[in-house]
Amino acid sequence: MSPTPAAAPDWGWATEYENVSGEVAICGVGESDHSKASGRTTRDIVGQAVERALADAGLEPRDVDGLMYISMPDQMDVAGFHEYFGTDHDMWESKGGGGMTHAAAAPYEAAHALRDGLASVILNTFGVAWATQRSNMVGGPGESHAQELFKQNLEIPMGWFPQPVYFATVARRHMFEFGTTQEQLGAIAVAQRRNANHTPTAVMHDRTLTMEQYLAAPTIVAPFRKEDCCLISDGGGAFLMTSTERARDMAKPVVEVAGVGLGNSSTGTHWAQQPAFTSTPQVFAAPVAFEMAGVTHDDIDLYTCYDPFTIHTLMQLEDSGFCPKGEGGAFVEGDTLNFDSGKLPTNTHGGLLSHAYVLGIAHVVEVVRQVRGEAAAQVPGAEIGIYGGYTGPQAATLILRRVP
Amino acid sequence: MDVRPAFPLPDTAWKPIHEFWAGAAEHELRIPKCDACGRLCWYPREKCRHCKTTSFTWQTVSGRGTLFSWVVVTHAFLPQFADLVPFAPALVALEEDPAVRLATRIVDCDLDAIEFEMPVEVTFRPISFAGVDGEVTAPLFVPAR
Repeated sequence: MSPTPAAAPDWGWATEYENVSGEVAICGVGESDHSKASGRTTRDIVGQAVERALADAGLEPRDVDGLMYISMPDQMDVAGFHEYFGTDHDMWESKGGGGMTHAAAAPYEAAHALRDGLASVILNTFGVAWATQRSNMVGGPGESHAQELFKQNLEIPMGWFPQPVYFATVARRHMFEFGTTQEQLGAIAVAQRRNANHTPTAVMHDRTLTMEQYLAAPTIVAPFRKEDCCLISDGGGAFLMTSTERARDMAKPVVEVAGVGLGNSSTGTHWAQQPAFTSTPQVFAAPVAFEMAGVTHDDIDLYTCYDPFTIHTLMQLEDSGFCPKGEGGAFVEGDTLNFDSGKLPTNTHGGLLSHAYVLGIAHVVEVVRQVRGEAAAQVPGAEIGIYGGYTGPQAATLILRRVP
Repeated sequence: MDVRPAFPLPDTAWKPIHEFWAGAAEHELRIPKCDACGRLCWYPREKCRHCKTTSFTWQTVSGRGTLFSWVVVTHAFLPQFADLVPFAPALVALEEDPAVRLATRIVDCDLDAIEFEMPVEVTFRPISFAGVDGEVTAPLFVPAR
């Protein structure tokens, strides 16, 4: 039988972005301890990450005059920053930051704030204590979806909930449309785990995973096994942004934002209705970022992306142009994604699957460390790396480059 | 998060989808159809996604379609799903417009025998959940006869 008629091509769009290439540098990065349920609060987790980012940059809390975060419970807003650090200075703030897509797109807004003189050092943070809070959440991290009324009244009563169910449905369709196999999804889980085994901060640092173990595990939502799904973690991260000019006078190698792009899906989080069911809005975001950066795919030394499920790594590699659509399965086979031997080292810290489910903020930290040459699972000679951020309704591509 | 006591049963009184559940209670599958362009519009919204018109009529559709994708759930992600597992949540593309996909469940079918693009048809069954009072008649799907 033939597939259901092809999706409409106009299922989303790229947000119009001005060229900000080279204007912003990430001058400090930090991450909290990452763990399973720890009993810690989000406030303390984020605070720890910020302290480490400040130490990395050689800055004091009072040097930070801009703050980006997301309007989710317990995130660090200006009042929270001052309470934590005992400061009281004026700060520019934006709720356009945090993790997920926003960890990739935040530097774009930061570029404008720096340009306009609204701030000179801008901090972006995100953290969760979802491992600790999980038993009090409806469907765990599915809670935000459970609150959405169309999902509540048309999807959840049928059992189509939460995220593992949505994206196993996507993975199954990808298998049908393109012949993607269980072993190819497994190759992603295995490679990212191996990268995590070389990264001491990874929650799964001490737990190895072979393809045989992956395939022998039972499915929980077929075609997904547990290892196709991200961890649930307590943890967070932070990064500091300033002008590239100012960053040249700071301690660490200068890492500039070479390119950034933002893509959108017209069906939002209603994945059931997304015409391009097996695609992500990286289709729209990536070309903008690559053009802004003036680089090609061959220039990219490592790739990271928001990877709540194995299929997200696969789809974003395709949608960002590292291989043609539908060939992601063949692309990820073997050692392609390994930090030390792969042709495109990917999620070199282990990603959401094996490092920590801190929603992408640690991916940016990882890319910065990689292009500085400071990563645990260091990609030899890495100079340019990517974080592909994703929320579903949106995706963003952030290209970071070490300035010679 | 506080949820309705009946969660995950639907709130059939919620206006945007009331007619869908009222139809199911009468064993009809109803989807809003744009009065101007004639396209089915799912999920319901105030403006047609195709032509931006704001006038719709709920249309009873055939209940036939093809299986777009599905999963087999063996882990109860909500405690209320405990009595359902294993089960097969699915998306069904409607015969009248395959771009319209219904979230549903495949029933009366060996879970290992489910196939891509399988012709399916609607059946109306009471759904209920562990620990939740009440039931609602829902459009589930079976392999087409």
